[in-house]
Amino acid sequence: MSSKTTVIGAVEIGTSKVTALVGEYTGREIVIIGCGECSSRGVIKGSVVDFRAATECTHSALESAERDANERIDHVYLAQSGGHLEGFYNEASVNVKAADNMIEADDIRTVCDLAKAKELPLGRLVVHNIRRPFRVDGRLVPTSPENLVGQKLEVGYWTVHGQEQRLADNIHVIRGFNLEVRELVLSSLASGHMVTSLEERQNGVLAIDIGAGTTDYVLYRNGAPHTTGVLAVGGGHFTNDISLALRLTEGQAEKLKVRFGRAVVQARDRNDKVWLDGNFAIGDRQFSRHAIESVTAARAWELLEVVRKRIGHAFSPETCAGGVVLSGGGAKLPALAECAAKVFGAPARLGEAPSWVADNLRDPGYHTALGILYYGVSSLGDHSAATRRKGGFMRNVTRLFAST
Amino acid sequence: MSRDTQTMPETRSWREIPQQVRPRAMSGEGRRRMAMKAMRATVGACVFGLVSWGAWEMAAVIRENPSGMPDSAKTDRVKSLVLVTDGVLDKNWLARTLSVPADATLMGLDLDRLRQRVLGDPQVSSAAIVRNFPDKLTVRISERSPVARMMAQSGAEAPVMLLVSRDGVAFSGTGFDTAMVATLPWIDGVRLARVGKGFGPVEGMKAVSELLATAKLEAEELYRTWQVISLSRLASDGAIEVQTRGGMKVVFGTREDYLRQIARLDLLVDSATDPTRPIRQVDLSLGSQVPVTFGTAAPFIGEPPVNTTGAKQEQPLIEFPTLSNIHIDIKREL
Repeated sequence: MSSKTTVIGAVEIGTSKVTALVGEYTGREIVIIGCGECSSRGVIKGSVVDFRAATECTHSALESAERDANERIDHVYLAQSGGHLEGFYNEASVNVKAADNMIEADDIRTVCDLAKAKELPLGRLVVHNIRRPFRVDGRLVPTSPENLVGQKLEVGYWTVHGQEQRLADNIHVIRGFNLEVRELVLSSLASGHMVTSLEERQNGVLAIDIGAGTTDYVLYRNGAPHTTGVLAVGGGHFTNDISLALRLTEGQAEKLKVRFGRAVVQARDRNDKVWLDGNFAIGDRQFSRHAIESVTAARAWELLEVVRKRIGHAFSPETCAGGVVLSGGGAKLPALAECAAKVFGAPARLGEAPSWVADNLRDPGYHTALGILYYGVSSLGDHSAATRRKGGFMRNVTRLFAST
Repeated sequence: MSRDTQTMPETRSWREIPQQVRPRAMSGEGRRRMAMKAMRATVGACVFGLVSWGAWEMAAVIRENPSGMPDSAKTDRVKSLVLVTDGVLDKNWLARTLSVPADATLMGLDLDRLRQRVLGDPQVSSAAIVRNFPDKLTVRISERSPVARMMAQSGAEAPVMLLVSRDGVAFSGTGFDTAMVATLPWIDGVRLARVGKGFGPVEGMKAVSELLATAKLEAEELYRTWQVISLSRLASDGAIEVQTRGGMKVVFGTREDYLRQIARLDLLVDSATDPTRPIRQVDLSLGSQVPVTFGTAAPFIGEPPVNTTGAKQEQPLIEFPTLSNIHIDIKREL
């Protein structure tokens, strides 16, 4: 065990807010020592559209986190989202070279290289190569197949790639604070890992993170990410729908959404009215609760329906016993789990942060940033393991987190 | 294997995005952090340097501090002198030069004075004296090596032979092998000036030593025949005159490459096969035009030239009417 502590930074540049967390990893556990948050500006649907505005709010959050932690960070793990992210699956197989058909490290390396080698369109860069479990003669091998006996070794990779300029913009916002981006982490993977358990991922689970501008999802099967995706639709669209339907400003619509929005229509009485402000001030108006619920429910249904269609046959209640887990700020919409259960035909629940997370960070809006911290710890563990070529302890730490 | 790994397409990763941004794209805080980082690196380097220097000085002080050493070191006599040299001087010379009293203690010795004594011998070019507690004195010297020799006479005293180093320092030459000394050519045509107990440096030895080194390396057969190197025309004409054991006089110019001149000389010597008409004088200082004088004189019997007397008997030149000045285009023949 190393007695040296490592300070890790995690940043999520979201559409509604920028979150920066500072964690101190002691080699055994991670303690969140700093948190900074700032309302997001210059970011639309997860992409930076105004560099200066995005820089100002991100740097403000980073400064706040550093001040809170009373520590200086030199590098960060950065969440990556946005409609430009796409994924594809590519698989490869090799015949085992050894005469006794025992799989060697060289076979594994070769099949992995082959599965990852896929030419991308111009201007696209790989963000993640997510490996699915190996197969030896069709037999599923969740861990390393080294030293197993078989004739044919297969593996597949789910490759997530994004547009070069948009990735560069996000990185340059961080670099403007003179910080190095150590790793780009897919938002869906970060939040998905936070709100699902190892057992759920093993049995199959769909994690959906509904943010303000985007909805990120990841489907886990056999303990590993199977499919990921990003929809450029989020909680902001709910607000926009109410604004258009009831002829309100964005602020007023947001207020109604938070107070009366629901993912499933509950109000039966169409004459049931609610006040916009409720303070009896001049200009305060009444709206039908049923109308508000109808708008938000329709959008929620549509959003989840699109996710279901995107995933296609990969998700089915039979293969995904873990059901659907919802997270992100948009998941706070009442009855969203009920709606998801209906759309997917599987049990659905709201994701919760692990028990070790402090109360002020248990809000669904922090799941992604927390997941990035977790990812940073894991990668530190991987690095140590690679250095020591053993990694027993780090694996235990990873299990410790996984079990939470 | 289903596919050849050598032909796999290159997939580009986000890591290929350069993370450097221009300072103007940074926020004020970013620029401040960058400046602080640079300042921290500079301060760190300075602190490291200071600490290293301090440690070095501290070690030196501890090493030489009399209070930190055992009392026996202050009272014990010097038991051994160690000479570390790159030349030929020996312990006898060291003992004679230092003249350390028998009851001297290590701390009682004045190292600066001893060093001056060692450097008083012009054969020594540099010296360092170190106390090695409890009872050892180490003298580390670097010696001059001779490239030529000369006879010097002062007043009515008998002439003495001196060796001359590459940098022109004349010294008596203690401990050198006589056979090696006998191979060194004599220097002539210079006047030595007294400086203290020794002599001032011989002017022009840089050019001479360069010529000798080139000859020794490239044409050792020729070099072995060289007996006297005269510098009498060096200052005025930029010429070095070499008298060989066979009586031939060779004039080298200091303005042209010595290797080229030696090559021309070698060619001339090889070309002159008639023993009845030996080459008497070769002037290589005129470039590609080389005047050669033939003669029938008897071989030069070398008596070492004594400097400061200056009287040297010139052998008469016998010039052939038709071949007295042959201009040979060495460049073409070469």
